[in-house]
Parts: sequence; structure tokens; C-alpha cells
Amino acid sequence: MAAAKEGEQHSALPYILVWVALVVLTATTYVTGHKMHLGTWALPLALAIAVTKSLLVILFFMHLWEQKGVNRIVIATSFVFVALIISLTVADVATRFPLATPAGAPFGTDVPAQLEEPAPEIQPPTGPIGQPPPGTPEPK
Amino acid sequence: MSEAAALPGEHPAHGADPHLAHHFASLDRQVDASRLGMWLFLCTEVLLFAGLFVGYSVYRFSFPAAFAASSQASETWAGTVNTLVLITSSLTVALAIHFVRAGSQRAAVICLFITLFFALAFLGIKAIEYTAHFHEHQLPGHYYRFEGVRLPGAPMYWALYFLMTGLHALHVLIGMSVLGIITWRTAHGYYSPHYYVGIELAGLYWHLVDLIWIFLFPLLYLI
Repeated sequence: MAAAKEGEQHSALPYILVWVALVVLTATTYVTGHKMHLGTWALPLALAIAVTKSLLVILFFMHLWEQKGVNRIVIATSFVFVALIISLTVADVATRFPLATPAGAPFGTDVPAQLEEPAPEIQPPTGPIGQPPPGTPEPK
Repeated sequence: MSEAAALPGEHPAHGADPHLAHHFASLDRQVDASRLGMWLFLCTEVLLFAGLFVGYSVYRFSFPAAFAASSQASETWAGTVNTLVLITSSLTVALAIHFVRAGSQRAAVICLFITLFFALAFLGIKAIEYTAHFHEHQLPGHYYRFEGVRLPGAPMYWALYFLMTGLHALHVLIGMSVLGIITWRTAHGYYSPHYYVGIELAGLYWHLVDLIWIFLFPLLYLI
């Protein structure tokens, strides 16, 4: 590989162009994500820009464009597994019984009425430290 | 490599190239094996961060309002500047490899020094940011006292924020150490247009640090 590259004339210009594209995409994601309020489209747009930027870095800065196929398979496999882990885990949480979701989570409003009553407040133990709180049955 | 050259039954090509380890048939195969090994290592790094991204996805799905409000309340200017800093440092690493390939070691060393400077700048901005969060009490769990966002799930955002940016900052430190060694070796003429795989692999690691930040930036600062 190293020997095959010898004699070829490489120009630094492609790197500069990729860098310009990355800066433009960063400015785009900053303006659309921070200055504009796009609602539900904000997350997909930000992720699409992030994926585009990462592809630019992987293909050109990390030279995957000109490397052997096996290296491409390796990194593609890891990204497939990341997508699987995230999508399946979120699918699990999205379809859970409301009581199994974290406390205070705003979804799961279809809770039966008797479950919506506030839990009785837990009283902190009174009395001197080391003594059983009043009302505790004596150990036999 | 001198011991390798003394072994009996040596491949005739061995001994000719000081970089060639005796268990590889040729330098090309050795370089290919190093690259594959580095890509496999980068995969384990991606999957290490994937665990944190899963945690982020689950809690963002559970507390969308708290996460949106908290990321709006973070230091967006710092995240944006740091993104530009890391992207530019990735460019200088790529240029360093380009210059070593072209045979100009001096330009490569200058590029690597600029990269190290950008890495320091990144950590400096990160330190300013962390200080601001500590003053605002934008802290995980029990220590969360930020008045601006009072929603369930906001302390969880800051737990994930510090875990993700902290692990990333650790990778920046490791990357700086690797780049420091590579800079020293480049300055001492260790690499040539014929053999530059060491600087290439260090560059791959640095690009991965940039890559992870490219995803952390929108998730933690923008949306």
C-alpha cells in the first residue's frame, strides 16, 4: 500500500475543501439548532448533519475512500451495531408499561386513576440516633 | 529489527528494510495489518461511547422537555467554538500525513504542533465551561440546584453531560499523548514517504475523537 502510493502526486486541496464543508455544516447545525426553533424536525436535521459530517471525516480525513474493503466493513459493522443498540433499546422503553418508566417521566398519562394518587410522604425518623423509632415492636 | 535479521532461514527481502518485522512477508502486508488492527480498535471505542449514547437516547425519550431546556441552557458558544477547534485540528493532522507522504517532514512537524495547540485550546474551553456549570450548580443528581430549569430529568441530563464530555476529554488527553510521541518521532526523521503508518494510525485516533464530538455537539448543546 505504502509502496503503491509512491510516485502519486497528492494535493492538499481536497483536505481544505472537506474542512470548508465541515465548517459550513457546523454553522448550519448551529443556526438551525440554536437560533431557529424547528420543533420535531430539529432532532432529525441535527442528526442528519452530524452523519454527513462524520462521513466526510471518515471517507477523506481517515482515507477510507482509498483503502481496502475490509476496513470499510469493520467500521460499517460497528455503526450498524450502534444503530441496533440505540433503536432496540428506545423501542423497549417506548413500549413499556408506564409504571416501569423513570419517576416523573411525562409520558404514560394513561395510568389508571387509582395509581395517580400521590404516594404518602415518608416521614424522616425522629428520636435519638441509634434508637429504634417510636412504635417499633420490641425485639424478642 | 537487527536481531530479526540475524535469524536463520530469513526471507531474502528481510534486513533490507529496517521497519519490516520478521513475521511479515512484506512491508505492504505489515502496513495493511496495522491499519486493520487500528480500525478494529476504533470500533471498540465507538461501541464504548455507544453505551453512553444509548443512555442519552433512553433518558432523552423519557424526559424530552427537560433535555431540550437543559441543552439550551448549556454553553452553546463553547460547544460551537470547540467543534470548530476539533475540526480544524483534524485538518492539520490530515495535512501532517499529507506532508510526510510528500517528503516534507518540517511542514508535518509544524502541522502536528498546531494540532497539539488546538487540543490544548479545546481542553481550556472545556475547563471554562465546567467552571460555569459548577457555579450555576448544573450538576448531576443530588447536587443539581440550577434555578433556570426545574423539570424532572434535568439532573439526569447533567449526569450524562459530564459522563460523555468527561470520557471524551479523557480521549483528547490520550490523543494528545499519542500525537506528542508522533511529533517527536517525526521531528527525528523516523517517518518517510516510504513508511509513515505510525503517524497515520495516530491520525486515525485523533479523527475518531473529532468524530465523537461531531455527535456530542448537537445532542448536548443544540437540541
